[in-house]
Amino acid sequence: MATIELSGIRKVYPGNVTAIHDLDLSVDDGELVVLVGPSGCGKSTLLRMVAGLETTTAGTVSIGGAVVNRLEPSDRDIAMVFQNYALYPHMTVRGNLEYGLKNRGTPRTLIDERVAEAARILEIAPFLERKPRQLSGGQRQRVAMGRAIVRQPKAFLFDEPLSNLDAKLRGQMRVEIRRLQRTLRTTSLYVTHDQLEAMTLADRLVVMNAGRIEQLGKPTELYERPASLFVAGFIGSPPMNFFDLEYLREKAGASLPTLSDDSDIIGIRPDSIVLADPQEPSIPLRGTVELIEPVGGESHLHLRLEGSDQLIIVETPGRPDAAEGTLLTAHLRARALHPFNRQSGLRTA
Amino acid sequence: MVENRPFLAFLTHLVLILGVAVVVFPVYLAFIASTHGSGDFLRGLVPLLPGPHMIENYARMLNSGLSTAGAPPVWLMLANSLFMALTIAIGKIAISIISAYAIVYFKFPFRLLAFWLIFITLMLPVEVRIIPTFKVVADLGMLNSYAGLTIPLIASATATFLFRQFFLTVPDELMEAARVDGAGPLKFFRDILLPLSQTNIAALFVILFIYGWVQYLWPLLVTTDSRYYTIVMGIKRLAAAAESDPYWNLVMAAVILAMLPPVLVIIFMQRLFVKGLVETEK
Repeated sequence: MATIELSGIRKVYPGNVTAIHDLDLSVDDGELVVLVGPSGCGKSTLLRMVAGLETTTAGTVSIGGAVVNRLEPSDRDIAMVFQNYALYPHMTVRGNLEYGLKNRGTPRTLIDERVAEAARILEIAPFLERKPRQLSGGQRQRVAMGRAIVRQPKAFLFDEPLSNLDAKLRGQMRVEIRRLQRTLRTTSLYVTHDQLEAMTLADRLVVMNAGRIEQLGKPTELYERPASLFVAGFIGSPPMNFFDLEYLREKAGASLPTLSDDSDIIGIRPDSIVLADPQEPSIPLRGTVELIEPVGGESHLHLRLEGSDQLIIVETPGRPDAAEGTLLTAHLRARALHPFNRQSGLRTA
Repeated sequence: MVENRPFLAFLTHLVLILGVAVVVFPVYLAFIASTHGSGDFLRGLVPLLPGPHMIENYARMLNSGLSTAGAPPVWLMLANSLFMALTIAIGKIAISIISAYAIVYFKFPFRLLAFWLIFITLMLPVEVRIIPTFKVVADLGMLNSYAGLTIPLIASATATFLFRQFFLTVPDELMEAARVDGAGPLKFFRDILLPLSQTNIAALFVILFIYGWVQYLWPLLVTTDSRYYTIVMGIKRLAAAAESDPYWNLVMAAVILAMLPPVLVIIFMQRLFVKGLVETEK
């Protein structure tokens, strides 16, 4: 059990490409922190720097209070789960689980005990003598997790572990990772580009963009109060709708709440737009239904706005009466507006 | 190719059978010749059925050889060839797998240059550099020795290149996982890379063994002492016996014996060989 402290981390690749700009982050003991961001934002680089697979250009990485900058990955007492599992193809599942322990000179009895325990927790006991290629994707993923937990490391590092699985399995494994991490209470750093995975797994969520932290906080905080345009657009599915303030002011009249002067762009989540008049301050917008996507319990309406030609998404429960091509009025809840400044990209209130 | 046309089936089989016949007939003839008496082949009519002298011919070649041709017993030449082929095959694999490992997995100055230097030697096979190589070997006093027979042929760009290509297909994550698991460079090589290369090694072994076995020019140059004759060059000596007609029956017995080891190697390693050429490890 340990904390992970990153301070002043910078990564410059040859050719003067800066991947990470002076970044600070601390992960508390037993916490699961998720790094999320678009590809190329530096999240994997950061994780690999914690693992010791990349060198740090500047700054310090500490695990459990000790600076580990100069230590080999194996001496950092961390375990890593890779996107493509990286199981040793010529070893059996048991061989894969044991390898790290053997290299550390763990006594045989203890190895057997740990492997049995991990196999029990992950329900992979029946496959212990099989080779990885005889396993399905989900089973391989479990073995990769097993390889991490047998070591009982100070921290788990997950590098997009679920990206290679199909949607259904991904959902299942997500729950399992969550359960496992809660049970073991091992400090974890988890990298993903899937915002749903990030939201559901994280104790705290770090949204990264272009080598910097955009926002850090509880997933619900980030959803309800995104600190920047980038976070607002990245977190949440379907994504947030954005309007020019001028356009809204023209449509809203008195129902527009007072906003600070530097606001010039307004965001609103699809689930804060309703079709029936909400009987509370709201902004009515008329538009043509261009597409209806039924997603089970709810539907996503793509609305082409009158006058501005902008396309917005409305999330509405059940199935709307309106057919594609009809004209209808959507109401933006006035208290659910997120004001931003276009220039700085930051939230203004 | 799901069509079922009898004529097409007949034609394809005919072509295949003809092809096999063209390849096999000389071998068959060699075998037939090796079972006849010494004069039978000089009468102008080639016999097509085995004769009665098979055991006699083979026993003579294996045990005493054809002393009039100045060649040692065939068993000695077979042993020399076997030693040469094995040493070359194993030596080439050992050296090239290590150099490929260095080139792929380690960052050192002039790494790319090192690779290209190795690669360029592909353009300089033994035949091209034979005179300088001979000079070096002679100056080192390695003429008429096993070292002289094998060492100059061991350095191999082809094998290095093949191993390099294979290592490049091994995912980096495997190496990273091994690093996290506490395996140093040597352990990673031994525990992970070597077992993964198994089929490649087998395929290369077959190719290189045959390469070593069929060496003709080089043994001819560096050996004058008949104790170091290899079988392939020995056959030539047997056939070119001075001042008499060649003993074709005995020469052919030696030829058949010379063919056996490569055939055996291929038969026994065929499964691994094909796997090594076809399979890509996931």
